[in-house]
Amino acid sequence: MGATDAVFISLLEDSAEELYEQAPCGYLSTLMDGTIAKINTTLLDWLGLSRAQVVGRMRFADLLTVGGKLYHETHFAPLLQMKGEVSGIALDIKAAGKQRMPVLVTSKVKTSDDGEPLLIRTTVFDARDRRAYETELLRGRQAAEEARRQAEADRERLQEALAVLQQNLLPAELPKVPGLEAASYYHTASPDLLGGDFYDLFPLDADRWAFFLGDVCGKGPQAAAVTSLTRYTLRAAALHDPDPVTVLSTLNTVLHERYTSGDTRYCTAIFGVLNPVDDHVSVHLASGGHPSALIQHADGTADYLPTPGGMLVGVLPGAQFETARTQLFPGDTLLLYTDGLTEARTGPDRELYGEDALRAFTAAQPAAGPQVLITALTGLLTGFGDGLDDDTALLALGVPAPLPTPVSEDLR
Amino acid sequence: MSPLTITSRDAATGPVLEITGDLDYESAPDLRKSLDSLTLTSGQLLVLDLAGLEFCDSSGITTLLAARNLATELGGGMALAAVPANTARILSIIGLDRVFTIHPDTSTATNPSSTAR
Repeated sequence: MGATDAVFISLLEDSAEELYEQAPCGYLSTLMDGTIAKINTTLLDWLGLSRAQVVGRMRFADLLTVGGKLYHETHFAPLLQMKGEVSGIALDIKAAGKQRMPVLVTSKVKTSDDGEPLLIRTTVFDARDRRAYETELLRGRQAAEEARRQAEADRERLQEALAVLQQNLLPAELPKVPGLEAASYYHTASPDLLGGDFYDLFPLDADRWAFFLGDVCGKGPQAAAVTSLTRYTLRAAALHDPDPVTVLSTLNTVLHERYTSGDTRYCTAIFGVLNPVDDHVSVHLASGGHPSALIQHADGTADYLPTPGGMLVGVLPGAQFETARTQLFPGDTLLLYTDGLTEARTGPDRELYGEDALRAFTAAQPAAGPQVLITALTGLLTGFGDGLDDDTALLALGVPAPLPTPVSEDLR
Repeated sequence: MSPLTITSRDAATGPVLEITGDLDYESAPDLRKSLDSLTLTSGQLLVLDLAGLEFCDSSGITTLLAARNLATELGGGMALAAVPANTARILSIIGLDRVFTIHPDTSTATNPSSTAR
């Protein structure tokens, strides 16, 4: 006889009575008023009570905790009376050792042949593991909620910090310069990456003003840190000695020393000084690796102010910079831009927009001053759509044309 | 967009890296890794063959500069070969055409007589 057969025989000998008493769940039968008539050993063990203490002496509700008892009276018992059965109700029983034990209770009313209710049969399942599982789920959900709240708060703080940093990179508004009109525009290619383009316009002394515009290599926080360093270095250097080559050389030294070990960080920039004299403004500027400035003349032409050979700023010790001088007369506008504009891709073949196209576009605009030119260029940039994938900064400085003489005073 | 591929080979003058595809913000770290694993001994010339370079942004330029710095640190030299027109134009705007040694093609760059610096 095999071992399997022996197990099978012993199962057959397991009487119904034995199964009832030692079942893996609690059984009890009560009269219709709740008085316990029969209860199995499993449940008695859970309760820590003897059969004599319970049978005929206690009602089912007496086994429950206060909360359980309340729920039993208000929900369980009425539902059972109405439907004849209830199943899977979570209740707490008073277990041995004054412990509260979560259980799942199912009850069914036994009726006589003519439908008269006789007694209530109840099974009681140990729900401790399940309750612990549910508590864990709840705790997990609360933890996830908390983490989400925290993440949202963090993101808000980060966005505030980014906004403050970004404001640090560009002037909130350009200052009013006597005898000069100024306008600017900044196109951000991606809202969550701090840009690397920068510009500024500020007084040097009572007579002179300085301006700069440039582009730091890269994007994001590292680039923004270089942008900030660059902007304040240029401002401080200009106040010390505004000679454009000296200013760019100072910036070159600062950037090169800071970034020479490890990651290379550099920028391109044009720095210049404006000196309003009589009817015009003289301009002296220097370029470090930056695309040439463009001048829109009052007569409807446009020309670059070439600064070839000026080197990137911050890469090499003793880098060389190219200077240029010009004079802006009424109606002339000097345009500085970053290469987001000229490197934009246009048309179905994604051709480079390029410097020639920019000059032609500018010459075709009415020579009506910086704001009008910037507005036209903003429209041009918008028209590039996704062909424009870089940050782009524009700064235009011009001498206003004299107001046209009213016809009525023209008495020839 | 075309993926960046970097092929390394040894010439008489030293290592040659053939760089094809787009060298930009996304792919520049790959070139940086190739450079870090490069063996360049003192006096050798590192040649970056750019004949197949289709696009190069400022991150790419940064990496070219890093290559130059690395070669200098190791006591060697660095040269660019077959620079495409658009990249040559950018190098000229930013003044780096006077900083990099630039050869029309790799065979000129790796000709031992031309490596004298």
